Amino acid sequence: MRRELELKIWIFTACIVLMGLVVLYSAAYQNARVSIKVFYDQLYCAGFGFTLMYLISRVNYRRFYDIAYIVYAIMMILLFLVLIKGRYALGAQRWFSFAGITFQPSEIAKLGMILALGRYFSQRRPTFKFGTKSNSKALWNHLLAPLFITAVPMLFIFKQPDLGTAILIFGIFFIMTYASGIEMKFLGGFSALCLAAAPFMWHILKPYQRDRLLVFLNPNIDPLGAGYTIIQSKIALGSGQFFGKGWLSGTQNQLNFLPEQHTDFIFSVVGEEWGFLGSMLLLLAYGGLIYTGLKIAEQVNDKFGTQVAVGIVGILALQVIINMGMVMGLFPVVGITLPMISYGRTSFMIFMIMMGFLLSLSKRRTVF
Amino acid sequence: MRLKVIFIIIFCFIFLVACHLFYLQILKGDAYYSLSINNSIRVVPVEAPRGRILDRNGVVLADNRHSFDVTIVPQELDDKDEVFDFLSQILQIDKNKMLQQFWQRKVAPFSPVVVVEDVTKAQAMSVEENRYRFPGLYIEESYNRYYPFHEVGAHVLGYVGKMNREELEQLNDYGHSSLSTVGKNGIEDFYDSYLRGHEGGLQMEINSRGRQVRLLGIRQPQSGQDITLTVDQRVQQMAYDSLASRRGAVIVMSLETGEILTMVSSPAYDPNIFVDSQLRSKTGSLFVDPQAPLLNRAIKGQYPPGSVFKIVVAAAGLATNRLDPARTYNCDGVYELGAAKFRCMHTHGPQNLFQGIMHSCNIYFYNVSQAIGAESIYRYARLLGLGRLTGIDIPFEEKGNLSGPSLRKWYTGDTLNMSIGQGDVLATPMQLLRVLATVGLNGREVQPYFLKAINHQELVKLSTSRQVGMIPQVYEILNNALRMVVDESGGTAHILDIPNMKVAGKTGTAQSGRGKDSHAWFVGYTLDTQPRVAICVFLEYGGSSHNSVVVAQDILNQMRLADIL
Repeated sequence: MRRELELKIWIFTACIVLMGLVVLYSAAYQNARVSIKVFYDQLYCAGFGFTLMYLISRVNYRRFYDIAYIVYAIMMILLFLVLIKGRYALGAQRWFSFAGITFQPSEIAKLGMILALGRYFSQRRPTFKFGTKSNSKALWNHLLAPLFITAVPMLFIFKQPDLGTAILIFGIFFIMTYASGIEMKFLGGFSALCLAAAPFMWHILKPYQRDRLLVFLNPNIDPLGAGYTIIQSKIALGSGQFFGKGWLSGTQNQLNFLPEQHTDFIFSVVGEEWGFLGSMLLLLAYGGLIYTGLKIAEQVNDKFGTQVAVGIVGILALQVIINMGMVMGLFPVVGITLPMISYGRTSFMIFMIMMGFLLSLSKRRTVF
Repeated sequence: MRLKVIFIIIFCFIFLVACHLFYLQILKGDAYYSLSINNSIRVVPVEAPRGRILDRNGVVLADNRHSFDVTIVPQELDDKDEVFDFLSQILQIDKNKMLQQFWQRKVAPFSPVVVVEDVTKAQAMSVEENRYRFPGLYIEESYNRYYPFHEVGAHVLGYVGKMNREELEQLNDYGHSSLSTVGKNGIEDFYDSYLRGHEGGLQMEINSRGRQVRLLGIRQPQSGQDITLTVDQRVQQMAYDSLASRRGAVIVMSLETGEILTMVSSPAYDPNIFVDSQLRSKTGSLFVDPQAPLLNRAIKGQYPPGSVFKIVVAAAGLATNRLDPARTYNCDGVYELGAAKFRCMHTHGPQNLFQGIMHSCNIYFYNVSQAIGAESIYRYARLLGLGRLTGIDIPFEEKGNLSGPSLRKWYTGDTLNMSIGQGDVLATPMQLLRVLATVGLNGREVQPYFLKAINHQELVKLSTSRQVGMIPQVYEILNNALRMVVDESGGTAHILDIPNMKVAGKTGTAQSGRGKDSHAWFVGYTLDTQPRVAICVFLEYGGSSHNSVVVAQDILNQMRLADIL
């Protein structure tokens, strides 16, 4: 059973990564805007990533528990540094160079958050109701403290600005808090509060973020500006029909009508060149990975393991659903990558590490 | 338990994604497929050269010059400022001027906009070399109109221009693109549908930057048809030189056929300035020039005909039998109507019809007009074509003005004024020329026209002349009288008594009012030349009619010397 889960993780990951490489090659093929270097970059990352995945799978995940808060601390330092001296590109300060390697601290933050929240929730003892006093204590323990752990890095990331990752971090918090067994009245009340506060969020959004939201509601208000992206990507997806136009043959992709076809919008290339068939196969692979991940979460006997597995599955599912949804015009455009397919070294490697975690979790069922 | 809930929620969303994929790719797949094809295929118009305009001897009056235009496709622009900075540096043109041009002509984001026209070949090359840096920037080869004779004949030819937004909307259905050139006046406008070619097109696959990836198909442009005019450029030049920039107009028409040999209006403008981007700034001053150089005085200028109108009065009298040509009236220089005094130029003494016309005696016509009656004069004036368009084949002709007792409150004084072509009688030089031509042709009214051949195919002209219904004696008498104006030593146009050429005609010195000089008229025709021609010389505020006669004499003499008559 354990071996089987492990094998499934390997297979699904390999399928997704290989498919990603094939699609990325097409997105960068003889393209003036996207260099083919992007493909080779990702290829090396894949080689390195699988190695890393294997190595991590052999580590006892008790080690992750030990380093959880250290990772969180390092992540906070990086997030702080990137704000004051990060590289400014594409209108945001998201990149940071260290020892000759350029990376995105906000991607690392996903991992840091999962580990830190996992450790926090695993340490928390279930509280029993002893009147109002303990009720407020429970509120602090169950909700406010983890919220604080989440909110600080989230604000840093939002400041970069990177709305997409900030939303993801919040999503991890929500899923992991729910999985931790919190009383529903706390989570329910908190959700209601968030919904009530949502309209005020409008004012803290940057103008381009507001445009994206408006355009999401009606792409035709600005077909050549903010709406262009979504219209073109829908055309690309839809024109793939059942079998797709074929590898290297998508006109929307090859003629550069697609924006960001190698990163956030790579799913439209999948849809255009591989059609409904290819898209469904990819979706199935993700679904399999998510299903296996949840199985592992179920089987791990300790709370930390479960929490980490849920966190990893949660972020994977969130990114897949939000990314595909935004490419199809179901969600507004926020910068979220398609896991293990979109070009982006940090994002790619973090997911490979997460898959390594899942493998490690599937192997051991250590009980503390 | 909670893991199950998470599992269910996640797979609900994944199912939703799958459903939407099905909707986009399977249900709406066809529609999106055709959208993606439209996206990547563009038809680039290829301009067709416009037909040339030739004179009757094949001299080219309007030609095409190959030229290079800088165009921009708005939606493909990366950084507008950068592109315009680059252009202004290479072309040495003010950036703001180009931007203004750009906004003015922009129709749609995908439709190319001409920003700078007619750049030199060297400039076009250096733009082309740097084009890879600026998506959306193109050099288009096109044809520019060129008028080799500049001002001479400008009013006949008209000029061309790029279509503006309103014209585009009107002509869109006829296969015009925003880059099409259309005639804006004169022959260029009137025969635009012949002159204009049929645009060709290149169908090509393009990328998102509009760069050509592959050529899919070509439709060759079809050039426009050449138009041959009845005009003789030599006579145009003579008439233009004779006018010597004085305000006025000259028309020479082949009497028998109605072919216009010459139509010159002065002062004129150079139609090239509407085409040449470097000269275009000058067009503004044309519109505000008090001399009104854009006005084609020959067909659009409306002036009192003065004594030329006496022919109409005489025709009305003779046709209605209310005028006895032999009967004399005494001219003592003044005609008294109640307290008002109507004057003559001279004291002519006793005058019959022939003398009255020959000397252009006002007193004679004051007298006879009373007998004829204003209503009859009005009727015959209309019959002879006044107050009506001649229907000449260039646009914006005016029909002058004519009124009679049935149209407004009328006094005897109005009749007197009318009898000498003053008051509210207004006519264009073209109309008066035709009145005299009709008299010269014994009542056959010809239709003046310019179009001789289309695409070098001579037109089989259907007879468009019509008979003006007056008894033949009227013309005989009038022809004799008009001949005497030139032939007799006392005639007002005696200097036109050119050896070996019989000319008949009528002078007119029309008061222009407002204390300005009179308008000078001479309208007449030849009797024995080959071909017979009718000529009208009009000088706006030109003083005595003698000045016009001198111009007519000059032109007829030159035509004789050039062996045209």
